[in-house]
Amino acid sequence: MASKIVSILQEIVKVLEEKKAELNRLDANLGDGDHGRTVVNAFRNVIEQNKDLEYKDLGDALQKIGRTLAFSTGAATGPLFGSAFIEAGKRVQGKEKLTLRDWKNALSGAVEGVKKRGKAEVGDKTMLDTLYPAVKALEQSVDKNESLKEGLLKAIEAAKRGMESTKDLISRRGRSSRLGERTIGHIDPGAASSYYILQTIIKNCLEEE
Amino acid sequence: MLKKFINKPEDVVNEMIEGYLVAHKDVVRKLDSSRVLVRKEAPIEGKVGIVTGGGSGHKPAFIGYIGENLLDAVAVGDIFASPSAKQIYDAIKAVDSGRGVLCVLGNYSGDVMNFDMAVEMARDEGIKVEQVIINDDVGSAPRENRENRRGVAGEVIVWKAVGAKAAKGASLEEVKEIAQRVNDNTRSMGVAHSPCAVPSKMYGGEPTFTLGEMEMEIGVGHHGEPGVKRMPIKTADEVTKMLVEPVLEDLPFRKGDRVSVLINGLGSTSLLEMYIIYRKLYQILKGREITIAISFIGEFFTSLEMGGFSITLTRLDKELESLLKSPAKSPLFHYC
Repeated sequence: MASKIVSILQEIVKVLEEKKAELNRLDANLGDGDHGRTVVNAFRNVIEQNKDLEYKDLGDALQKIGRTLAFSTGAATGPLFGSAFIEAGKRVQGKEKLTLRDWKNALSGAVEGVKKRGKAEVGDKTMLDTLYPAVKALEQSVDKNESLKEGLLKAIEAAKRGMESTKDLISRRGRSSRLGERTIGHIDPGAASSYYILQTIIKNCLEEE
Repeated sequence: MLKKFINKPEDVVNEMIEGYLVAHKDVVRKLDSSRVLVRKEAPIEGKVGIVTGGGSGHKPAFIGYIGENLLDAVAVGDIFASPSAKQIYDAIKAVDSGRGVLCVLGNYSGDVMNFDMAVEMARDEGIKVEQVIINDDVGSAPRENRENRRGVAGEVIVWKAVGAKAAKGASLEEVKEIAQRVNDNTRSMGVAHSPCAVPSKMYGGEPTFTLGEMEMEIGVGHHGEPGVKRMPIKTADEVTKMLVEPVLEDLPFRKGDRVSVLINGLGSTSLLEMYIIYRKLYQILKGREITIAISFIGEFFTSLEMGGFSITLTRLDKELESLLKSPAKSPLFHYC
């Protein structure tokens, strides 16, 4: 799977490119309308700077992607997405293949990374509201000994519901928090883009199985 | 759509820098591998380096203040988006003479996260770095949540003061203390009657917010963040009063204080209007027996083509007054 990392990154860019206008529009409701452009450029830059990403160690690969996102993207997007990948990578150091438990550990690392960097909590109308439900779903699947496929599909579903739940939340972090109650009724663009990224990663990994 | 004379929206920042560099090549240079502009002489022997950075679209901020007794380096972000941690780190490294570097930044989540990471990286390499986050905008959060307030035109006053202090050969701790002191004594409030647009398509971009034809919004941020209140547009005298009262109450400024006044046009408000505003501001302060020791009137920190202005007051002590009155010179800022 590790050898497929670059093609998954390319797939992420393709999906984000398709969703660019939608993400820009979501951002225009709450911010300055460039989130779609920012995330596409961020992942393009990751590929550009990591062309030879052929890792046996997925933990290393995720951290390398994360460092590129965190240090050379800019905006708020870079540090947040970067921290998610870096902390996810740390939890699966040395692994070439991920079990459902590894997925749970990696994603909960991502959640911790975003919380720490963005000083945000679940319910603040951020990407955490997409990622955290996915971690919860994975925890349940691990407890129930469900198959990798079953567990990951449930995680995507949970992430999607989490993303959609941001519509009813009031933003408490970042630029949009200044809009207060005016943010109700709009899906958070970071919650949306992180859903598309997670969905793309999982979908491609399942095809590998 | 708001019209603009641009080529391609994705090229605006790089093309602006290209023009700026050739126009002011005696003063600034660009780092080879990073979108960072640096004062030509930096690092300057014996002087603490002053670094800032932020999104583009605020001319003359930020790069316009690279110069004598002002800034040493600026990490340049995309329009209204923070530069990356790597750019900021490169800026810190480029201006460190061994006496350390002070980073001054506005309180925006992207900037704060990227500066935090850059400062950590530089410290890991043994560079002495401190940072001060500016949050002068009264309109962006109530007094009890002062730590959530944005940094706006007050940043210019901080740059001017720390630039002067660093030029005297002060230590990093002393320069940092000045930045903190200016921030603690500075309050701003803005108003807009028309929006700005981030370049996003051929010949322009969509406005970042919309206001009715005869409407204005009090407390609007430098990127079009919503403010405190929308209402029908008022006269210069009325608006000046509405802006300056919350500023005065917030610190609070008191009878007998000496202050610096900054009237900052946000992009498409004329100097004619700004002097009308200054006239009223002078009357209000005089009535309260507050003395204006120094005034800055013009465009210092714009928001692309936004129509509006902000008022910034800084309470002065002897040292701050002398720092703000000392000469400074850069391509887009001049004080003598």
